[in-house]
Parts: sequence; structure tokens; C-alpha cells
Amino acid sequence: MGELSRVRRSILPTPGDGWNEIARRELPDVAEADAVSRLQSWNLHVYMRATMRTGGPGNPILPSDVIFVEPPLATA
Amino acid sequence: MYDLVIRNGRVVDGSGLPAYRADVAVKDGRIVRIGHVAEDALRVVDASGKVVAPGFIDPHTHFDAQLLWDGCAKPALSHGVTTIVPGNCSLSLAPLRAEHRMKLVGMFNQIEEMPLKAFREGVVWDWETFAEYIARIRKGLAINVAPLVGHSVLRLWVMGDAAMDRTATADEIAGMQAVLRECLDAGAAGLSTSYVDMDERLLPVPSRHADPSEVDALAAVLGEYGRMLQIVPEFYDADLTIARLDQLADLSIRHSIPTTFSPLFVNADNIEAVNRVMKRVDEQFDRGARVWPQVQTRPIDISFCFAVPSLLFIRFPGWYRIMRFGAHEEILAAFRDADNRAKLIAEAAPLAGLWPRLVLRHVKFDANRALVGKTLGEIAELRGVSPVDAMIDLSLEEDLDAHFLAAGMGHNDDAQVGRLLAHPRVHVGASDGGAHILSFSTYGDTGYLLGHFVRDVKAMTLEAAVKKVTSDTAAIWGIPERGLLQPGYVADIVVFDPETIDRSVEDFVGDVPGDGFRYVRASSGVDAVFVGGALAWSTDEGYQPAQGEILPGLAA
Repeated sequence: MGELSRVRRSILPTPGDGWNEIARRELPDVAEADAVSRLQSWNLHVYMRATMRTGGPGNPILPSDVIFVEPPLATA
Repeated sequence: MYDLVIRNGRVVDGSGLPAYRADVAVKDGRIVRIGHVAEDALRVVDASGKVVAPGFIDPHTHFDAQLLWDGCAKPALSHGVTTIVPGNCSLSLAPLRAEHRMKLVGMFNQIEEMPLKAFREGVVWDWETFAEYIARIRKGLAINVAPLVGHSVLRLWVMGDAAMDRTATADEIAGMQAVLRECLDAGAAGLSTSYVDMDERLLPVPSRHADPSEVDALAAVLGEYGRMLQIVPEFYDADLTIARLDQLADLSIRHSIPTTFSPLFVNADNIEAVNRVMKRVDEQFDRGARVWPQVQTRPIDISFCFAVPSLLFIRFPGWYRIMRFGAHEEILAAFRDADNRAKLIAEAAPLAGLWPRLVLRHVKFDANRALVGKTLGEIAELRGVSPVDAMIDLSLEEDLDAHFLAAGMGHNDDAQVGRLLAHPRVHVGASDGGAHILSFSTYGDTGYLLGHFVRDVKAMTLEAAVKKVTSDTAAIWGIPERGLLQPGYVADIVVFDPETIDRSVEDFVGDVPGDGFRYVRASSGVDAVFVGGALAWSTDEGYQPAQGEILPGLAA
């Protein structure tokens, strides 16, 4: 069996997950507001997902979304 | 006496081994002998100077609706494609309750750019279950079909409208498992799901409301049958794609199923990203998973007019909103209004480099006919306006029926695409056959592979390329007795000229129900195509009544 190299860490949401729940669970050592802010900045594919009718952000986290819990890794 | 003998051809048998000179004899739909065949046959084909190969298998199509009015999936069959996989991207036409028909039509229209009018005028809705749909398309079927069940459709069947906005309960998941089993028993080749697509309201499709436990439960059912899970990942981002392929790999190992994700594009500005994805694919295969990335052969060329929504503009809400939701007169008004026009042009500033390269390819009125074939840059110079203003003016003058071509939009670096196509862990596919019919031709990708990448670019040998689209595909999808020229195998066979096989120029053809049009490419260099030993198409006789099958066949 081969070894997996390190890739950017992500999670799949569990039932009831919002930004705050994920922040508390995945970034327990960071103040919650700051942790939420970081999560949102790392997950613009979710946070900035525009609803085309309104033209602005607003979509909640979907149960199928990939949520990154760290910034992009530095390229080698 | 055989039914068919193909004499003097160069046999490229689909195994990847070197070609050899031989005759191929067929009896009762199967290959019975390869070598020197002295006996006579009801039909004899002289393949001197030609290649004789297994029929090609296209693993990513959306022919679901077309099969209802065209059992040949034209023109795919004439390109040598003898097996197609419809039902990708979470969308299939079954199982489907009557009350959800228009919902599904809306999703097909939004995601696959299938005209609403074609559904209205080309489809007689006389099925609900998957078995009923299979029975329906079997009538007049001349091409083999390995149909997927769409996850979004499965959710709608079990959950009703709730499928569009919440996770499933345990009972509903069990219900989906039961219905999926029924579909697999009726001949489904697997399940498809999507993590990116939006419905006709531009809201996430039902499959995106599934939590991981639901997907895992459905993958467990696929494991009972050893059948395929296909997904559309967030292909625009390497980290997201890698996260999805890790998710797929875990499902593949846990349930011992093959999985595939599509598309994977390579552009000059994302080579490193594609390399990272392929490194992860290699790692996951080494770990024991089966996670096949699908790579299309053709470059991305997009045609559009402003009468129908084009995915080219989906990144620009002002443009896309009016194209998607605006009536004809509203679109014209939006272009006529000077303030709104200025806002639109400003919003699409990232496309400023594209406008002058667009080619006017089709108009309705004689006044602009002389401009067809010119770039917007050239037309703008003639008119003394900017290229984007020329585009909008022409659209107004043509009552929105001015068609523009954006050529070479990506996936057009021959060295990089050729390298990917030749990679042993890349699955050649993602044609989208039957979809996006007003944006580009989704037919002829195999001709482009064998003509451009084999003959012209020499990215791989003919034998390797044929293997990619025949026995590799059959093995990946668990389709038995197809994909190889071997005694005992089903006689799905294509005869082609390796010096001329290609895709023809893109043509705008009015053969869609409801007086509709589509972009197609006729085959080039293909002489004859046999399905189950019967002639299905030839240059001399055109389409013939062959008998396609539902594959991979009854569940074991």
C-alpha cells in the first residue's frame, strides 16, 4: 500500500454544522470570531458562492461541501 | 458460411499490442475467428489499407433524451462509437415521477444546455421507473447503452421536493438504496453525482444536499454490484479536486467500487495544478483505490448567441442573469439601454482580451452576411467601434441571432493534453456527447484522438490510443465481452482509415425536435461500424437497423 503525501486539510460537514460549529471543533485554540473569519477566507468557494438571482453571497454551507480548515499549502 | 468477414485489414485489437494483418470472421453477433479466413460470408468487407478495431466506448455522455427520438445517438455511431454512457453528472431521465418531469427538464436545460423545446416536442413521457425507461429506449436502439442513475433524480423520486433543500433521513436513505438496487437490477451501470451543478433556478442540484453518509450508503449498494460511481468535482480548483478524489478513493476502497471524476482540463496556466491532481491519483491508485480522472481530447471552443444562456458568461451575473431569466425583448432592452450596456461591458472586463478574437460565425439577415468569418476585432475596425460594442450591435441588428465563436478557450496545449491522454491512469472521456448542443459539437472526440494526437502530434501510438477508448474503458466500467477483438467477444467493430480519420468541421444543423439546431461534426475516415455483428453505419449505406444492448447487462 502506498503512502499518501500531505495535502491541504479539509473536512466534510457533519449534521448541524455552520461556520461557528466548525470553528469551535476544528480551530479550538483560536478565538471563535477570528476562527470563523479564517474559515470563511479559506473557503471562498462556499462563503462567496453567489446566488445568481441576488448577485451576492448568502448560500449556507451545504452538507456536501468540502471545507478547508487551513490555508493553501506553500508550493514546493 | 459466416455472417460477416472483414478481410485484409490491419487488426488493432484493443489490447495495446502491435497491429497485425488478418481477417475477422463474425457469426451470430460474435467474433469467431481472427486470422486467414477462406470461407465465404453473407457480408464481406474489404478492409485493405484500413484498420479494424473494437467499437469505441464513450464513458461520459448526456444522450438520455436524444435516445428517445434517435436510437443511433447520431452522429456518435458514425464516428465508430458503439457504446455510450448517459446519465452523468447526477442527471438521468429515470427513475422520474410525472410531477418532476419539468423539474428535470429545467436542470437538463441549465446544466447540459438542452433546449426546452426539444423535450416538449421530442419526448413522449411514457415511463417513470428505470426499467420502464430502459424498455422505452430499447425500441429502435442501434447503439449500446450503459446508463447511469442520476443521484439528483434518485433523491427526487424518494424525497419529493424536499430533495432540493435538505439532507435525507435514515428512512429516506434506505429508500434510495432500495430504488438504486431496482435500477441496477434493471441494467444501470452505476450512479452519478455532482458537487458543482446548479438547477434552473441557479440553486444547488439535489445531489449537493446529500451528506457524506448518504453517498456512502449508496456507494455500499454499488459495491453489492461492483458498479461505477461518477462525480463532477469542483474541477476549477486543484485543492478541491484533490479533496474530492480523496473522498472517492475512500469510497472505492471501502466498497470495492470503481469511481471516476470528470472533467480534468489542462491549460497553460494550470499545469502545476493538474500535476498535483495526477500525483494524488497515482498515490490513491497505489493505495488500492480506483479513481479515474476523465480527460477529453478536444480543445474548448464555445459558440454562443444571446438568445440562449451560455456558460461562457456564468462568471458574470449581470450578463448571465439576463440571458438566463430575461425574455427575448428584455435582453434586447438591456442591450439598448446605454447605462445598462456600460455596466455589462464593465462587468465583463476580464474578457476584454477575448472580444476581438471572437469570430462571427452565423447571422440571420443578409445585411451582415459579408461579415461572417471575420473577427470582432476586424468588424470593430470597419465600424469604428470597440469589439464588445460590435458584438452587442450585431446581436441587436440580428434580433439576438448573431452567433459568435470563442475558439481555443483552453485545453489546447497539445504537449500537455497529449501527455495526459497517454497517462496510464487517465481515462479518455468527458465528451459530454449529446449536451451543450448550442455551444459546441460534442461528437468526434475519438476521431480527434486518432487523427490529431496519434497521426499529427504523435502523442501516442495508434494501438495505445485504441486501447484507451476500447478495452481500457470496458475494463474500467466492468463491461464484459467488449472492447477487444478476440474470438468469443461481441462483434462491436469499427473499420477506419488511419490516414484520414478525424472529426470534420463544426456544422450548425437543424435536426433537433422542435425545429431546433445543434452543432455537430460529421465523421471522417470511418468506413463502417458494426454493433453486435450487424452493420450499424457505413459511408455507403448510412445508418442501418442494428440492435444495441443495455450494458453491462444483467447484474451478476
